[in-house]
Amino acid sequence: MTRRDDSHPRADFGGVKRIDRGPAEDRVMKRVFLSPAVLILLALSIFPLLWSLGISFTDMQRGGSTIARQAASAGIESGVGFLGLGFEITGRNYERLLDDTRLHSTVRNTMIYVFFGVFIQYSIGLGLATVLNQPFRGRNIVRVIFLMPMMMTPVAAAYTGRMFFDSNPLRSPLAHFLRELSKALGLENNISIPWFTDLGWAPVAILIIDAWQWIPFMTLILLAGMQAIPEDIYEAARVDGANVAQIFARITLPILLPISLTVILIRGLEIFKIIDVVVVTTGGGPGSATESLTLYIFEQALSNGNYGYASAIAYVLLVLVIIFATIFLATGRRLGGLRTG
Amino acid sequence: MTDKAKAKRRSWRSSRRPLWQSALLYAIVLFWCFIVLFPFYWLGTTSVKRPIDVSRGPKYIPYRDFQPIPDHWDEMFGSQRESTERHFRNSLVSAVGSTILSVIIGAMAGYGLSRFRYFWGRLGWDNDNIAFWIISQRFLPPAIFIVPFLLLYNFFGLVDTYPGLILAYTMFNIPFAVWIMRDFFDGLPVDLEESARVDGATRWQAFMRIVLPLSAPGLVAVAIFSFIFAWNEYLFALMLTNYQAITMPVLIAGQNNTRGIEWWFISALTLMAVVPVIIMGLLLERFITRGLTAGAVKG
Repeated sequence: MTRRDDSHPRADFGGVKRIDRGPAEDRVMKRVFLSPAVLILLALSIFPLLWSLGISFTDMQRGGSTIARQAASAGIESGVGFLGLGFEITGRNYERLLDDTRLHSTVRNTMIYVFFGVFIQYSIGLGLATVLNQPFRGRNIVRVIFLMPMMMTPVAAAYTGRMFFDSNPLRSPLAHFLRELSKALGLENNISIPWFTDLGWAPVAILIIDAWQWIPFMTLILLAGMQAIPEDIYEAARVDGANVAQIFARITLPILLPISLTVILIRGLEIFKIIDVVVVTTGGGPGSATESLTLYIFEQALSNGNYGYASAIAYVLLVLVIIFATIFLATGRRLGGLRTG
Repeated sequence: MTDKAKAKRRSWRSSRRPLWQSALLYAIVLFWCFIVLFPFYWLGTTSVKRPIDVSRGPKYIPYRDFQPIPDHWDEMFGSQRESTERHFRNSLVSAVGSTILSVIIGAMAGYGLSRFRYFWGRLGWDNDNIAFWIISQRFLPPAIFIVPFLLLYNFFGLVDTYPGLILAYTMFNIPFAVWIMRDFFDGLPVDLEESARVDGATRWQAFMRIVLPLSAPGLVAVAIFSFIFAWNEYLFALMLTNYQAITMPVLIAGQNNTRGIEWWFISALTLMAVVPVIIMGLLLERFITRGLTAGAVKG
C-alpha cells in the first residue's frame, strides 16, 4: 500500500510522524479500538454467513436429517454426515430452486418492489426536494413533519395502510373519497379498488405503503444535497440566460448524481429486505402475488423447518443483492462520485 | 447575525416570485404534509372511536361526527395492562441495551479507523477497505441469518431473552455506528488530543476526556438511529422470541390473528409504539438530519 502512503488523508496529522510508527502504546491501542466491532461482526455476521452456505448444501431440517431418518427406518447405516453432524452433503437444494414456481414468483415480486419502489420514491422525492428547496416560510416545520413516517415501525405503517386500502367505503377514508369522487364526476359505477384481493393491485398497495414511509427520507437527503450547492453557480447560469429546466438538467441533477446513487442504493438494498409490510397487509397473498423473498425464506425456515432449502434461497437473495450493489458501485465509481471507503 | 445568515436573508428577499408560483409551492407543500399527517390523525381518532363508528363510517371529526370514548386506552392500561407493559418494557430494554453497546463499540471503532492506520496484510486491506467491509455488513439481507441464528440461539439458550435480542440488534447497528462516527472524527481537529497527549494523557484518556465530549452530536445521532432501528425491528424479534421477550412490533403484527381485527385497539397500541419514538425524534431532529446526511451528502 505504498501508493497510499502520502496521499492517505488520515495519515497526515499536520506533519506529525505517522501514527502506526508511533509509540508502542498506540500499536496496542489501535487494536483495542477496532477489535470489539470486528470481533462482533466476525462472530455474528461472517460466521453465520459461511455457516449458512454450508447448511445450504445439506439436507438439514428441524429435528435432523431427512436422508438419515429414511435410511435408519430402512435399516441402512448412513454415511459420515456433514461436519460430523449427521447431515448429508447434497446439491438437491440448488436443483430444487430451478423448478420451485413459488420461488420464482417471490423473486419476481421482490424485483418489482425494488425497482418500482426505488423509482417511485426517488422521482417523487426529487420533485418534493426541488419544491422544498425554494425559500418559503415554515420549511423547518415541514422538515420535522417529514421525519415522522420514517420513524414509525413498518408494522404500524402497514396496519395504517390496511385501514386506508380497505375497499369498503364505510370503513376506509380512501374508499370513501373515491366513492364521493365518482359521484362528483357523475360516473355510473363507483371507483372501487380491490387493493388486497386483486393480484395486480396488492403489490401496488404494498409499494404505496413503503413509498409513504420512505419518500420523506429521499426528500430530506436530496434537499440537503441541493442546499449544499453554492448559489453562485445558479447565479452564473442565470446570467448566461439558462432557463429553469436547463438549470435543473445541467446543474442540479449532475451535482446531485453521487448522492442520488447513494440514496437509491440504500433504499434499494433496504427494499430487498421487505417482510413486515407484506406480513401485516396480505401475508403474501393472494396466492403468492405479494410474497417477498425474505418472507418465503422465513416461511421455509420457521414454518416448514427446511433449514437447508431456506439457506439455499437466502443465497439466491444474497446473489441478487450483490449484483444490484455491484452495478451501482461500479456506475458510481465510473462517474467518479460514490465514496466507498 | 452571522454573514451566512445575512446572505440567506438577502437571497430570500431577492427571490421574489410571482404569486401563482408561491401559491403552487404552498399547495404542494400542504398537500404532502396532509398525506404524511392524515394517517396519524386517523390512527388517533380510530383509537377513540366506538367499534360501530369504525365499521359504519368513515367518521372524521370528533364530537361532530362521533363521540370519542377512552375505552380502548382504558383497556390497554387496564385489563391488558400486564401485556402492554411487558411488551413495551421488552422493546425498551432491547433497544436501550443495543443502543448503548452500539454507541460504545461504534465510537471506538470509528475513532480507530479515523486516527490510526491499519493494514490487514493477508487481505491487503487498509482503513478504507475495512470501513467498506464494515458498512457492507449493514446491507446484507437479514434473511441470510435466519437459519444460523436459529441454530446458534437455540444452542446458547438465547431464544426469548434480552441478551439475545440486544446482541442481534447490536450486530445490525454497529456498521452504521462505525460509519457515522468515523465520519465525525474525521471532521474533528486532531490538535486537541495531540496537546493532551503531550501533557501526558494516554491515548485512552484523550479519547474519553477530550474526543468523546466533543463528539456529542455524532454520538447522539448514532444513539437515535440505533434506538429507532431496534425499536422498530420486526423479523428478528419475531424469530428469536416466543413469549417473554416479545417486542411491540411483533405484538402489533400478531393482533391480526389473536383477536380478529379490532382496529380501535390496534390503533391505540400502534400509537403506543410509535409516539414515544416520534417525540424523541422530533426533539432531536437536528441530530437526525446530521446523521442522515453524514454518509450520503459528502458523497
